[in-house]
Amino acid sequence: MTMLSMPLGALSNLVAAADGPYIATGEAPQWVALIPALPLLGAVLCLICACLNVKNKAPGYLTVGLLAGSFVTTLVAFLGGTDNYGVATIFRWIHASIGADSGTSLVSNFAFYFDGLSMLWMLFVTGLATVIGLYSSEYMSGDKGLGYCRFFFAFNVFVFSMSCLVMADNLLLLFLGWEGVGLCSYLLIGYYYKKPEAVAAAKKAFIINRIGDLGLLMAIGATFVVFGTVELRPLFEMIAAGIDANGEAIGGTWAVVVIPLLLTAGAFGKSAQLFFYVWLPDAMEGPTPVSALIHAATMVTAGVYLIARMFPLYAADDAMIALTVVAWAGAITAFWAATIEFAQYDIKRIMGYSTISQLGFMFAGLGLLGTTGAVFHVFTHAFFKATLFLCCGAVMHGFGGQLSLRRLSGVMWMKGFGITAVCMLIGCLSLSGVPFTAGYFSKDMILAQAFATPGDMIGGAYFIGLLLLLTAAMTAYYTFRVFFRVFVGPKYFEPGDDDHGDDHGDDHGDDHSHAHDAAKEEPGDALHTGFHPHAPGWAMNTAMVLLAVGTIVIASLYFVNKKEDHGWAGTMVKYSSAAYASPGLGHKGDGEKKDEAVGLLPADAEAGAVMPVSLVAEGVVADEDATAKASGTLFGYDPFKIMYYVSAVLGLIGIIAAAWFHGPKGLAGLGIGNRVEPAKVRMDAVAARFGPIPRWAENKWYVDELYHIVFVKVLLVSSHIYHAIDKLVIDGIVDLLGSLPRWLGSLLRPSQSGVLHSYATGMVAGSAVLVALIVLVALL
Amino acid sequence: MAEKIATIWPEIVLFITTCVVMILGLSPNKQWRSLCLPASVAGLVIAGILAAWGMREGGPVADTALPLMPGFVKVTIAVVGVLLVIVQAGLIDRREEALVSTGRPFNPLRTNRAEYFSLVLFSLTGLMLCASASDLIWLFLALELTSLPTYVMVAMSSSRDRAQEAAVKYFYLGALGAATFLYGFVMLYGGTGTLKLGPMAEIIATEGINPITLIGLLLTIAGLGFKIAAVPMHFYTADVYQGAAAPVTAFLAFVPKTAGFIALLLVCATVGWRFGESGDALPESLRVMLWVMAAVTMTVGNVLAILQNSVKRVLAYSSIAHSGYMLVGLLAGPGDGSFPSSGVSAVLFYLAAYGITNTGAFAVIASLERRAADRGEPLEVDSFDDLRGLWKREPALGVVLAIVTLSLLGFPPLLGFMAKLPLFTAGISSGEIALVVILGLNSAIAAFYYLRIVKAAMIDDPKAEAGSADAASRHPSYQLRFATGMCSAVGVIGLSMLAGQIAGNTTSAGSYVPPVAGASEAAEGVFAVVEQEAAGEARTETASSLPTS
Repeated sequence: MTMLSMPLGALSNLVAAADGPYIATGEAPQWVALIPALPLLGAVLCLICACLNVKNKAPGYLTVGLLAGSFVTTLVAFLGGTDNYGVATIFRWIHASIGADSGTSLVSNFAFYFDGLSMLWMLFVTGLATVIGLYSSEYMSGDKGLGYCRFFFAFNVFVFSMSCLVMADNLLLLFLGWEGVGLCSYLLIGYYYKKPEAVAAAKKAFIINRIGDLGLLMAIGATFVVFGTVELRPLFEMIAAGIDANGEAIGGTWAVVVIPLLLTAGAFGKSAQLFFYVWLPDAMEGPTPVSALIHAATMVTAGVYLIARMFPLYAADDAMIALTVVAWAGAITAFWAATIEFAQYDIKRIMGYSTISQLGFMFAGLGLLGTTGAVFHVFTHAFFKATLFLCCGAVMHGFGGQLSLRRLSGVMWMKGFGITAVCMLIGCLSLSGVPFTAGYFSKDMILAQAFATPGDMIGGAYFIGLLLLLTAAMTAYYTFRVFFRVFVGPKYFEPGDDDHGDDHGDDHGDDHSHAHDAAKEEPGDALHTGFHPHAPGWAMNTAMVLLAVGTIVIASLYFVNKKEDHGWAGTMVKYSSAAYASPGLGHKGDGEKKDEAVGLLPADAEAGAVMPVSLVAEGVVADEDATAKASGTLFGYDPFKIMYYVSAVLGLIGIIAAAWFHGPKGLAGLGIGNRVEPAKVRMDAVAARFGPIPRWAENKWYVDELYHIVFVKVLLVSSHIYHAIDKLVIDGIVDLLGSLPRWLGSLLRPSQSGVLHSYATGMVAGSAVLVALIVLVALL
Repeated sequence: MAEKIATIWPEIVLFITTCVVMILGLSPNKQWRSLCLPASVAGLVIAGILAAWGMREGGPVADTALPLMPGFVKVTIAVVGVLLVIVQAGLIDRREEALVSTGRPFNPLRTNRAEYFSLVLFSLTGLMLCASASDLIWLFLALELTSLPTYVMVAMSSSRDRAQEAAVKYFYLGALGAATFLYGFVMLYGGTGTLKLGPMAEIIATEGINPITLIGLLLTIAGLGFKIAAVPMHFYTADVYQGAAAPVTAFLAFVPKTAGFIALLLVCATVGWRFGESGDALPESLRVMLWVMAAVTMTVGNVLAILQNSVKRVLAYSSIAHSGYMLVGLLAGPGDGSFPSSGVSAVLFYLAAYGITNTGAFAVIASLERRAADRGEPLEVDSFDDLRGLWKREPALGVVLAIVTLSLLGFPPLLGFMAKLPLFTAGISSGEIALVVILGLNSAIAAFYYLRIVKAAMIDDPKAEAGSADAASRHPSYQLRFATGMCSAVGVIGLSMLAGQIAGNTTSAGSYVPPVAGASEAAEGVFAVVEQEAAGEARTETASSLPTS
């Protein structure tokens, strides 16, 4: 903590009376280029390994080493504090002038923009990538050889692309990274390319992301049209001044509504929100470390990053249309995904839906103007969700790919799985929002924000809050449903049909592997006989423990700079483009006024800090009246205070419900649960009363089927029609045109007779024709 | 006189090299004999350095309306010339050398090496002299010095009948073409009363174009059309290109074409791009003639190329088409002097790009040979079938062929694209939209047969098993010929990155000094000679003040 708080202290001393959203004006050191460069080097090395046909774990360890270097570089940059915030131009990339005299030029350098937001993101991206890389080095060891190289190649390219996305100094570089992570996601989901489901899932992810990407691309184009630049710094300066490239005011124009909405479409695609969510559960077909890193912790938060990064533009709209859309979409997605989880039995898919749900929380947080809460939740979620995925992965790895809730029980009591279970418990507690865990603090900020933000800024904020509260309780329930069924209770397992085990001898070094190998050699061995679950080895355990400890430790970040900035995340956000005086949190410059308005609560002293944010420039809270209404209440109390209790109670209710319906008999001496058999729980009886509804939920409300009819079928039919038109009309015309030159050629061919005197005649006659032509021209 | 000599140092060096090579090739010592090729290359390199140096120094300046053109053109000739000379390796005296190595005494009368390499160098010397020309006699002699050796080279390149037939056709039709433009030169003299291009330009600027001059111009352009293989003088191209050995074909595709375009540029510059509505076009009659020639030439070349099964014939017809493309630049003229609008710069750029690229394509073909059914001299690789699956048998050759072919097609970002683009922009800025559309359509037609070559080489499966009688094998001089192709491919990629630099060079090389009207009227006075010199000096000064980098 001392190491962390030192630079943070320096940060808070630097709080100046800046009066715009924070714009990093300085120069970032050139060596930050190492952050993306090291993974890129790793990718190249993995390719070389593939060419040399390396059959050991070298690519994995190389990757971990280089990513650790990348993380250390990030850490050093972070410890440098705000001095390092600014732009580092690595090389000229695109400089294009458009129009002869207009002087418009598109400048897009390979340059990095460093502020609190990119710093925070890079910290967890590189940090988690290192840890998960270590985990993968063991997890993927069944595939040593080309597949192993391929995995780590894509892994490295992913970290490179993610760095480009997060640190981009301009929207084009951001787009490059955006597409890069999409590509790596596609490659890694389809890693088991012999599995049809994996290939289908990869395609699904890629295609659905394309739709969102179109929105992002259009947004970048529109940004260039309106502001004449895609570079972040000039862009923020213009937005802060409220003008476009021609110096005209942007407030109330189409730009501040349409561009954010287009950006939002891109963000929805990448972060699996609203109509776009369907790809993420299927993406769990990829190897579990990939699910942990890409589809839980980092890539899927790119949408949140995009909105946070471009937040000044969102806030420039007085009516907050785009933010309202974001808030509602987030809340609805959070709730929708939670309902599906109730009836899912595949633990990885449950975690996948949970990710969608949590991303919904983050979007809601952003939409509700609570950037600090949203960003902090991104950070904490990255840790605990990665922990959960790695634990699920360990189970999957150990039981031959078994993921079903019904076929696993009491894993905690099996040899070698203790660490896994403890880590899983930590992750579950955090996800459920049990008091004093990281997820508890970050989720509270979002929940409270929903009630603090007045409904005339974000329409229906109060209802969003209620929906989110309900979802929070549901989250606790479904999280512990997994824990109570899989990790505690009577010992039971059925191994899955995946063969992960070929090469694990050196990872475990215990008798298991030998027994396992021996068992494998027996021909015609039935699935059960001879199967030994193999516990995670040192690399996987280390990774899980590191992440679990991280999950615990980062809870304390909430108390760093608590008074000034509402936690460490607040400090980081304060020095970033996402800086915003959230209602009830920021801009409490005139505390008396706020107290009047809210009429409340003891000891509001801690809310005394002044955020260096100009609401005047953003036209949000342009005058004193607006300041006065800038905070709502929950049951007449400051939501940021009371939410501690409300959410804690809801979380505990959820857990108790889970224990009641799914807990094993004699759970921790409380005697709530009654599960004796592995797959027989109280919930079954309850579910039976609801008729077909649980089945509908298990089938994900048939959304995939609906999409199949509405989009896929329609597209297929229309593609047949287009194909016919293409074949008959277009091809016909093209063939006709194509045969013209051929026909002309065969017409001219006889002139090439090879006979000398006819050539000479041709030359003379041709010249005569030319002369005649000229005479004709001269006469006319 | 001394001034003029100062401008032709590269040619003098080449001539000296020619003499040295002529002697070296007759040496009974095999080592000495084999020095012909390196000596030729060395001479070209020195000539190129001299030309480049001259270009850097800003002078000497030719007494024509395109005063800075010679420097750049000579550097181009030297660079492409080096490639063209290297690819000739192993072409001449193959049987003779084989006999000598088996013990037969060397007989200088039976060897052709000395003559052959000196012919190559003579032709290149003539080409450089074309660029230096500032009067019509000089120009005519230089053109003939360029062409005459090529007739002999075609005949010598192969012992097969087809080569002899090609040489005869080439010679007779060449004579017809030469007669045509010589007649044109005579008419120009008759119409203007001078042979010098500078004064002639002034007279035309002052007095306009009289009918005799016009007929002279028409005949000149039609006759020079033979050199560049433009319609209606194109008939010989396919037969000759196919009949000659591939290295000679590479030579034919670049050297006479360049000579023709230099001469055309000089003649057009003498008339001046100073007519038309906006005062930057050729006279209407010439414009129509060149317009028709350009449109018909590129179309005929491309549509005939589609039908061929012989790669050499395809490249021959495509060479016709490339001439048609360049005629667009000639027609467009210098525009406002900037690179995008200058057709003159575009032509100079295109000549360089075409020379480098096309030589590579022929070098690949020349790297392979096929056993003949009649046990005579091995056959050349010629049909698409021979190239099929080249990528699988000779990966390096396949890649080189693909690169240079795509460049010839004008595939971005290769050199061919960089060279073709300014032709389009110059055509558009001179208002010849219809012609540019035809140019675009023709580029699309060209894609058909060029991609067919790429497909045959890179995608199709080999026709015959390696080692079987039908399969192509490596030519004995594979290394040098492949190296030429490699240089060409590297150049195609490397120079496309330096396209900005080349564009700057061609822009200054293509800078056009419009003739001063009225200068020749003063020349009729008492102090005619003195004043004419003064006018000449004034122009020289204008020229030297132009950008030269």
